[in-house]
Amino acid sequence: MGVGQDLLNVPFPKMIYDMAMAIAKGQLALDKSSVNTLKILANTKFDYIPEITETLTPRPFSPPSKPDVTITGVDVHTDISPSAKLTLLQAGIVPTFYQFTESIIEVKMSISSKTETSSSLDVGVEVTASADFLFGSASVSSHVNYSTASKYSYSVDGSSLLRTTLKPAPPPQRIMPRFITVNALESPPKITFSE
Amino acid sequence: MALQMYIVALRNGYSEEASRDVQRLVRQCDGYILMVTRTGPLIALDDSKAGVISKHPLVGFMGPVTLNPRGIAAERLQRIFAENLSKQLEIRNTGERGPDS
Repeated sequence: MGVGQDLLNVPFPKMIYDMAMAIAKGQLALDKSSVNTLKILANTKFDYIPEITETLTPRPFSPPSKPDVTITGVDVHTDISPSAKLTLLQAGIVPTFYQFTESIIEVKMSISSKTETSSSLDVGVEVTASADFLFGSASVSSHVNYSTASKYSYSVDGSSLLRTTLKPAPPPQRIMPRFITVNALESPPKITFSE
Repeated sequence: MALQMYIVALRNGYSEEASRDVQRLVRQCDGYILMVTRTGPLIALDDSKAGVISKHPLVGFMGPVTLNPRGIAAERLQRIFAENLSKQLEIRNTGERGPDS
């Protein structure tokens, strides 16, 4: 198997698809949760007291033991304006929306291929000769030893990293309600829009 | 520690006991009670501990929220949050120092 084939075997399209699907599912679940939060905030009412007026007026007095000494006193008169029912959403608490901003797929591969060849050659020649009265003889022997060994190893190690960043995002305009305030205290009534 | 603001909705509607139990749980998780409503408390909690609260049987729903500075009562809410937070920080600091110090 070649290195090129190993690289081609990395299932990139599937990895990207799986990650995209996981992000889409995650985004959907987060958006649903934020919309639920929006509903809860819109239904949670509390008594909002817009103003408390404290009026301080001087009230000097003299202690009975020392009638000639005047102590600066003060009267505090508190006026509480009528409360109004306000939802948490109107008051200024909004659901947090999240958005996947960046996703990374990182694949690391380590391919190693090793070939080892060793060979040995052993050549030997032996010559023996003898001579006698009438004849002589000689013998020659030779040997050749040849050995060869080959080792081949191939290994592929791989690791993959999938990283995605989640950040808070401003609420989508179509999900957030628009507040229309009609101020009938003014003539003609003043209408203001806010989000 | 990344503190995030959440609204906690009680599962079976408001009851003083349930609200108190949830608040106690939030404190045990090193969170802070910013405000108590009839739906449930508004809390500040570390992201990593959110699962402990949301899985509690008394909790029906828990969602992250943000304070919109342009809201009608945003300033007032901010002041309420700060006031409640400072009280809890005082209690925590006293607890950490111990009664003798």
